[in-house]
Amino acid sequence: MRDKILYALGIAAMVILARDVYLIARLPGEAAQGAIFKIIFFHVPAAWTAIVAATTSLILSIQFLRTKDFKYDAGAVAVTEVGLAFLGANLVTGSIWGSVIWGIWWTWDVRLTSALVCWLLYAGYLMLRHAIEEPTQRATFAAVFNIFAFLDVPIVYFSIRWFRTQHPGPVFFSSTGSFPTDWTMILLWNWIGLLLLGIVMTAVRLRQENFQREIDSLRREAHAL
Amino acid sequence: MNLLAHTLLLAQASPDDVVLELARLQRNFDRLSWGFLAAWVILALFVLMMVGREGRLKRQIASLKAMLEERQKK
Repeated sequence: MRDKILYALGIAAMVILARDVYLIARLPGEAAQGAIFKIIFFHVPAAWTAIVAATTSLILSIQFLRTKDFKYDAGAVAVTEVGLAFLGANLVTGSIWGSVIWGIWWTWDVRLTSALVCWLLYAGYLMLRHAIEEPTQRATFAAVFNIFAFLDVPIVYFSIRWFRTQHPGPVFFSSTGSFPTDWTMILLWNWIGLLLLGIVMTAVRLRQENFQREIDSLRREAHAL
Repeated sequence: MNLLAHTLLLAQASPDDVVLELARLQRNFDRLSWGFLAAWVILALFVLMMVGREGRLKRQIASLKAMLEERQKK
């Protein structure tokens, strides 16, 4: 039953994203930026998906520290890995966009730097997990580190409001930006598609964490014999 | 009005300007294609990585179970 739901979600995500590719291809180029502006339809939803993943991971890590239940730890690592992939896609698309609009692939402004630091922190979280053998110690240290890593997320989000950056100011959830309603709808649908894809990826990754726990338990059994 | 403005604008452009503008538009479109491709490649690599890991984990479970069964028989 669980697998059927996952397949259904995966197919729904693919249908939504395929429909959006068709709609985005038919849109005219933006007046000032031309065709490259359309990259916003992936760049922004990928960032929002990564933020949702980071927030979920934070909640799961806090829950683990409160309850010491390993299912929360497994959930935190699964969702963090998926969020890292989406943040990576966001950074790469942003860099390609910048190469056309700014004439440079990268600049050390607050938004870009804090987003890169965020990626590195979550990559560090995954590396930390590989470095610790003992499961309880690994989960506890990783949960504490995860809470620390999340401190960077509000900085990434609000940096374009708090500082003057090379990165453009806020377009969504802001009185300063403007975006046509029909374009906003395509962007929101794309976000829903990516979110569904993220949920499916997290569920598959979570199943692998359960396999890993089964392996740990079989190893303990083998040692005891 | 829009047509007149465009005609006047084009009348001032040299053939070199038109070539440069076409090249800019093409580069713009190329980078967009590369951007979308790169994003999907990252996600596809992640999925492939997960598929590979799942296979490895299943093989480990099978071999550990076989080893345990063998030890219990002894």
